Amino acid sequence: MSVELSSPDLKTDEMIINMGPQHPATHGVLRLILTLDGEICKHVEPVLGHLHRAQEWQGQNRTWFQYQALIDRVDYLSGMYTSWAMARAAEQIDGLVVPKRAEYLRVILSEMNRITSHLLWLGTYLIDLGAMFGFPFYPFREREKLFDLFEEVAGQRMMFNYIRIGGVLRNPPFGWFDKLKRFTDEFPDRIDEYEAIVTENPIFLKRTKGVGILKKETAMAYGVTGPCIRASGIPLDLRKTKPYSVYPELDFKVQTMDGDGDTWARYMCRIREMRESNEIIRQAIEKIPGGTTEELRKLLGTTGPEKDESKDLDPSFLLMAKKQNAGLRVKAGEGFAAVESPRGTIGCYVISNGSDKAYRFKWRNPSFCNLSVLPELLVGAPIADIMAIFGSIDVILPDVDR
Amino acid sequence: MTETPAPGNKPAEEPKELTAGPFGEFLREHGIASTRLPDSTGVETVLVEGKDLEAALKRLRNSQETELNYLVAVSGVEQADSFESVYHLWSYTNLKELVVKVRVAKSAVPEGKLPVVPSLANFWPAANWHERESYDLMGIRYSGHPYLRRILNPWDWEGHPLRRDYKQPVDSLNDKNPHSMR
Amino acid sequence: MTSSAVPYNLNEIGKFFLLSGVWLGIIFGAVWAACWAVGMLVPQLILNAYPNDPCALNVANAIRLLTPLVGVMVFIPINAMYMVLAERRGLALFTVRKGPNRVGPDGFLQTAADAVKLLFKENINPHGGDVLMFTLAPIIFFAPSVFGAIPLLAAVTSNHDLFKIVNLPTGIFYVLAMSSIPVVGIVMGGWASNNKYSLVGGLRSAAQAISYEIPLVLAIITTCFLVGSLDVVNIAQMQKGTDNLASFGFLNWNFFGAGAIPHYLDLLMQGKLEGAQVVTSAFWSLALAFCCILLCGIYLTGACAEINRIPFDLPEAESELVSGYNTEYSGIRFAIFFLAEFTNLFIVSTVAVVMWFGGGATPFPGFLDANTFASIATPFNQALAQAGLPPLMDGQTMSGAFWAIFKTYALVYFAILVRGTLPRFRIDQLLDFGWKKLIPLSLILLLAVTYIRELV
Repeated sequence: MSVELSSPDLKTDEMIINMGPQHPATHGVLRLILTLDGEICKHVEPVLGHLHRAQEWQGQNRTWFQYQALIDRVDYLSGMYTSWAMARAAEQIDGLVVPKRAEYLRVILSEMNRITSHLLWLGTYLIDLGAMFGFPFYPFREREKLFDLFEEVAGQRMMFNYIRIGGVLRNPPFGWFDKLKRFTDEFPDRIDEYEAIVTENPIFLKRTKGVGILKKETAMAYGVTGPCIRASGIPLDLRKTKPYSVYPELDFKVQTMDGDGDTWARYMCRIREMRESNEIIRQAIEKIPGGTTEELRKLLGTTGPEKDESKDLDPSFLLMAKKQNAGLRVKAGEGFAAVESPRGTIGCYVISNGSDKAYRFKWRNPSFCNLSVLPELLVGAPIADIMAIFGSIDVILPDVDR
Repeated sequence: MTETPAPGNKPAEEPKELTAGPFGEFLREHGIASTRLPDSTGVETVLVEGKDLEAALKRLRNSQETELNYLVAVSGVEQADSFESVYHLWSYTNLKELVVKVRVAKSAVPEGKLPVVPSLANFWPAANWHERESYDLMGIRYSGHPYLRRILNPWDWEGHPLRRDYKQPVDSLNDKNPHSMR
Repeated sequence: MTSSAVPYNLNEIGKFFLLSGVWLGIIFGAVWAACWAVGMLVPQLILNAYPNDPCALNVANAIRLLTPLVGVMVFIPINAMYMVLAERRGLALFTVRKGPNRVGPDGFLQTAADAVKLLFKENINPHGGDVLMFTLAPIIFFAPSVFGAIPLLAAVTSNHDLFKIVNLPTGIFYVLAMSSIPVVGIVMGGWASNNKYSLVGGLRSAAQAISYEIPLVLAIITTCFLVGSLDVVNIAQMQKGTDNLASFGFLNWNFFGAGAIPHYLDLLMQGKLEGAQVVTSAFWSLALAFCCILLCGIYLTGACAEINRIPFDLPEAESELVSGYNTEYSGIRFAIFFLAEFTNLFIVSTVAVVMWFGGGATPFPGFLDANTFASIATPFNQALAQAGLPPLMDGQTMSGAFWAIFKTYALVYFAILVRGTLPRFRIDQLLDFGWKKLIPLSLILLLAVTYIRELV
């Protein structure tokens, strides 16, 4: 006797669920219109824009100097990178050469920012998988330490406004490099701690292995970048593939994963990237021209870290190649510059007409492009996996909606 | 808020004597006409006709020589006398870069209609959301797009906010709330 | 950035234990005082006032019969208040936070404040929901778990005279039967909420409860089978060890093979085993102990799934279903759901304690046993006797209750630790695990125990 499962008498209805914009696992205000058959997802339509703040319009209607302070909000978890992308675009158009010390400071601070961003992702991803209370707070412990360091150097914990067109804002205070060095020494142990809890956890493996497989070809067709595409096996990392700043002088590897590119691979890729970033910071501290702020002060014989703009200074010790004031202007021209943010290629297409405002701004946000592959991944997944997959892409809604 | 003049439209900046770069040559070999524009900070920039766009990008994406298989961004730009759709092409495997532009003159756009540029979304999914965004904010209609719907603004929004002549409706942000502070 | 060689929340751990001690003292004291007043003081006062009056005797007896009910009524709210606080503070310990520590001294009154808040919140009926079913759901969820727990009272108080009445010859069956009703409440709540998330949560709960009830019941049945009794008092008493076996303490617990190991050791010491018997008997005793440990593991897993705790909290699934079946609940109805969840956790822990961890037996003979508590109680009892009042407590009951609560909370803390560590299963993996792993394993164990107990 056989049972007809698809008999015409057995009528099942599809159910439409609005997941979000208020939902604990959509990381803000994404709305997914899910068509479910039982618990299996049949169709997904992401609805964006609940956090649209017209960042591009603001860029066109504010002066460069004003807009610099706003762009950290584009991707609030990695503000250094958004600033850096815009600064690079403007510098390219203007033909500025950024002093070496400033470039090193950019690298150090942005790699710190990469670690904080990945740490937050790690905690929230475990929440998405249902470990609501235990693990998620451990990464925040290290993140707080880094935020304290950010606060000391930039005056802000998340919206730094530290990387400016032509350089960086200021030298770190005395003792800052020592603290950072201590952090880099202890951080690998902390990652070991996280891995001890998570990486070999059987439930975690069950939930992530073989879930949300992103094939190379799909990833390339959708323009996916960052850890997502590196987990699928393509070594796209702008720090190596289109080297910028002082990354060629630093020794690090692009972390790619073999195999399927499932959510576990994306998790593992980020964990390895954190270790790699830690190494980059460690190297950059040693190679920075002028050394730590104390050493620089001794070298210059001046009275404070801010007094380093005297005439006879080695140009690589400078911080700024351009005067920062309200009349900041950029030459006419157009340019596209991108940096490798924790989420992927964050790019900025700028058309300048030589005035104090940009003529056209266009952000190329990694979250926006990575999110566009989501409907492809979700079809056929049960509700629980929607969270596992969506979380593993690591989108930031302000970055999607800008 | 003062209107800033568009930069790309001074006659002096449209030199005719620019010779085709490597990608321009490549396109001509495959029978696609292109015009070289001033470089965008060192990156070759070509202008193609709208009808050639799909063929050109397919060539550039699939050919072994170029392998421009990474569509970084699609941007809509409003110049003084034209609308531009700008495609930034990179490669996942090598260091090549190219900027492709498609221009629709404002004079060619009928009153009350949107400028039309052919869509890439059907063979290159990366373009899908970028084109929707460009449609939403800049008002360029991508013909042949599978689902050309507003993406960042609400679905019933009127107008295209990044246009130079856009006037924001006073109450639209507040759902026509009579008590709006605006 | 200080060096973290010393655990920097040592201070917090101390505070946590202090808080727990005070709360447990309050629970213990309040319940005992209520039971004493209803079961002893009031009847005696009535009898003193109307001596030799048959009517007064009947009234006094009737009041005495109410004692278990009063005990439960007093116990459950206070206990849930403590458990919520313990869970929040305990999780905070695992996650390098501090937890609620502002209301009252060191967060002591946090949950009391929360309870008051919930009582005064608006009761919202979801639009288009079935109001009657929506209101009934929390009650159906809560009531069976409370009344199902009553037979356990007799077990944890060592069959005290006042609680004898609630003991049933088939007590454990009654508990199991009652514990399978709450799922109806969850499905009702999910359906009546007119919310798709709630509906999915309710249906998940039904699937989950059905699949995990089977291994859970099989584990308990196997143990009953091994012990030869369905009477919870009997099961608890047996684990104290009979006669000379009592000196083996915790080895008598069902967790270690229902007395097989002490039995073997006893025979060995008396020299009754010879030759190969020494090895074979040891092997079978250890095999039985192993089976029992597995049974206990199955029970705890199934119980975790029954009461929707992480890693089996799929009906709630906060990050997927926005807390599932209780998404739409607010105010007092939500409070009842909340209360019931923690009460359930306590009850399944108590069942585990009674079935496997020796009920009220002390783990080490002579350590905080009946005599110790009797010596504490004597001065109070003498003082009361001088005032013409009934004795406050007796050592036997005190010791039993103390150890039962102690062990139960040890299991509760274990559940909190699990909650602080593990992610959630997916529904298909959960059902796979239940049907393909746990049920076959529990059936095999049933057969194995049947066989082995003849050999021990």
